Amino acid sequence: MADATLSGHDSHDRPGFFTRWFMSTNHKDIGILYLFTAGLVGLVSVAFTVYMRMELMEPGVQYMYNAYLGSPDGIAALFERLGEALAAAGGGTNAFAGELSSLQGQIVAAAQTVDGSAVVEVTGGLRADVVAQFETMIASANPAEAQVLLGAMDQLDGDPNGHLWNVLITGHGVLMMFFVVIPALFGGFGNYFVPLMIGAPDMAFPRLNNLSYWLYVAGTCLAFCSVFIDGGAGPGWTFYPPISAQGVETSRAVDFAIFAVHVSGASSILGSINFITTFLNMRAPGMTLHKVPLFAWSVFVTAWLLLLSLPVLAGAITMLLTDRNFGTTFFDPAGGGDPILFQHIFWFFGHPEVYIVILPAFGVISHVVATFSKKPIFGYLPMVYALVAIGGLGFVVWAHHMYTVGLSLTQQAYFMVATMVIAVPTGIKIFSWIATMWMGSISFRTPMMFALGFIFLFTLGGTTGIILSQAGVDRAYHDTYYVVAHFHYVMSLGAVFGIFAAVYYWIGKMSGRQYPEWAGQVHFWVFFIGANLTFFPQHFLGRQGMPRRYIDYNEAFALWNYVSSIGAFISFASFIFFIGVVFYTLRFGQRVTQPAYWGEHAETLEWTLPNPPPEHTFEELPTREMWDKQPGHH
Amino acid sequence: MPILPQIMEAPASPGAFSHHGRGVPRLALRLTPYKSLTPEGFVWFIGITAALISMPLLSILGTSVFWALLPFLLAAIWGIWAALKRSWRDMELYEDVTLWDDLIRIERHDPRKPPRDWEANPYWVRATLHAKGGPVPNYLTLKGGAREVELGAFLTPLERVELKDLLERNLRA
Repeated sequence: MADATLSGHDSHDRPGFFTRWFMSTNHKDIGILYLFTAGLVGLVSVAFTVYMRMELMEPGVQYMYNAYLGSPDGIAALFERLGEALAAAGGGTNAFAGELSSLQGQIVAAAQTVDGSAVVEVTGGLRADVVAQFETMIASANPAEAQVLLGAMDQLDGDPNGHLWNVLITGHGVLMMFFVVIPALFGGFGNYFVPLMIGAPDMAFPRLNNLSYWLYVAGTCLAFCSVFIDGGAGPGWTFYPPISAQGVETSRAVDFAIFAVHVSGASSILGSINFITTFLNMRAPGMTLHKVPLFAWSVFVTAWLLLLSLPVLAGAITMLLTDRNFGTTFFDPAGGGDPILFQHIFWFFGHPEVYIVILPAFGVISHVVATFSKKPIFGYLPMVYALVAIGGLGFVVWAHHMYTVGLSLTQQAYFMVATMVIAVPTGIKIFSWIATMWMGSISFRTPMMFALGFIFLFTLGGTTGIILSQAGVDRAYHDTYYVVAHFHYVMSLGAVFGIFAAVYYWIGKMSGRQYPEWAGQVHFWVFFIGANLTFFPQHFLGRQGMPRRYIDYNEAFALWNYVSSIGAFISFASFIFFIGVVFYTLRFGQRVTQPAYWGEHAETLEWTLPNPPPEHTFEELPTREMWDKQPGHH
Repeated sequence: MPILPQIMEAPASPGAFSHHGRGVPRLALRLTPYKSLTPEGFVWFIGITAALISMPLLSILGTSVFWALLPFLLAAIWGIWAALKRSWRDMELYEDVTLWDDLIRIERHDPRKPPRDWEANPYWVRATLHAKGGPVPNYLTLKGGAREVELGAFLTPLERVELKDLLERNLRA
């Protein structure tokens, strides 16, 4: 029989820094670790996009090129040939002799001595000057001369480094999908708040939880390796064969990317097994499935989707790995394999994955909207079943990503209709949020602003999704910027607005300090304007026919790319500002002592706890009165 | 119901209830922690999971990819199956309270640990409810034997109040 321990549980030694953060089995500490790591990886991943938008700001290649390397003699020879050709094209006289000789002087002046011999590298400002001067000359040249000048300029401005571009889009995709959004919403907020909301003392398997986190960190390191080692991996986050055979003889970068996804997949599967067990078996007495808060429900559905879809991805990329390294031919037609099959199983994972990214945000938004409308959420039960239905339907629509691979008409018709059906449960959610706000007493605090932004942007992205779901229309939009705009509206703007709403909603609870309201509002407006400025013009680009995944584009697309880049810089500035707000809040924010500081309509169990909650919570099981605020309401 | 009254009739064969030939106990209780997953729930969850996860297999029937994918899917099913079972087993602890006229006996059974017990004369036993200061609210302890022990620390606070009333009624009867 257990001896009585009357000394109480708070008397045991507080763990030291290393024990607390490196060997943590406490769901709240692990949640915080997830959030900070995801924030850091997010910063890197967003920095990639800033570089990409700099490159796309103007037509031509400005930053991502392999520079022209030559000796001063080589330059002289090049200009000599150029002069002769121009003389021939200009009817005997070289009309640009003056400009060219000064240009040649400028280039040769930049020569540097490397290993005893002079070398000229046309790069940076010199390259920009060279290009600008050639363009001025071309503007006043006759067609034959322009031809010659263009040829010389093409030589001097180096080669566009398309591979670097591919590496950056792959890095951005892989990091954002696997290492930023899921860890933040699911690993971070899920870990912190799901046990609190269902009244469990911790996760079902705390040490497994620790393993999940460190596998995630290991996966992140592998993902960075895939960007920086052996020239970088550039098959895109979808790893389609045969593109994923890139560098199979010489480079291990794609293998690193595959391992990164493997390890992060293992982390997510362990995490989801943990969440499912916690959710199913550790709810407080009386908290039936129809009374669980919506955020806990959304994390449960997410965990279920991860459990169902990640093994498929793990299998697919394992086959890819053996195809690359061990001579199997699962996806290689040369040995009887089928590359389209990879796309099928990839998207069987990939489509649920995009719901995995967005569903926890749905849960957060439900709580935020209810809290700041000062009303209980409208239609709790339809909201729950809409979550389940979105998850379930997510498994039977995967081929809408592959209309152009040669599906039969019947297949296309099925996937088109099934995809459109998803608008029904999604509509239930959107309308329920609106109905929650209807006649409510809304206060427009920062979390609510982000929630409203989420609803607006997600609806917009969902609408373009309905357009893209039509197999016929998709023929025109496939692989254009319209698709880029669509999925950034639902995921970048949807899920990320959800993350920010959650941060502002709960930061007082997690840290015991409140953010300055004005700073939250500034962050919201700058980010909202910046993000829309980035992605809305991409609809226009897509409709003009600008293809995805290229480093360069036609002059006709210049205007909206310029606008989009400006928007990206504004968004990035707002993200930096946000990081500042977080650290300011953690150090100097105003202390909040009231447990339910957002008012009585924040009624889930975490609001009964002090800010921040003690290390151990709900070792006593919470009673029904603590969480069942409207008995008989549902 | 986490406080389960045990059968009060005399068992056919002398078992735990007729400890040391004392006959039918005055009170026999089994205290168990609450588990929110029912066996039916387990069957439904595993069933739906297995059905959904086999969906991609349909599109690759008859290819070598099928056999390469199958182990991953089976591993996932096995993983969640084992985790749910393990979670049940972790909650398999229970405490048996048996009270005769001259003996109160408590046995605690933890998973993967030998059972622990405690005995005392009911006359000297004092049950104390510590509203605050214990590891849980309404912490219930028993004094009167060799050492002070806790009882039903895994129950809800209200259940411990109920348990204390039940014990005191029967101790003083």
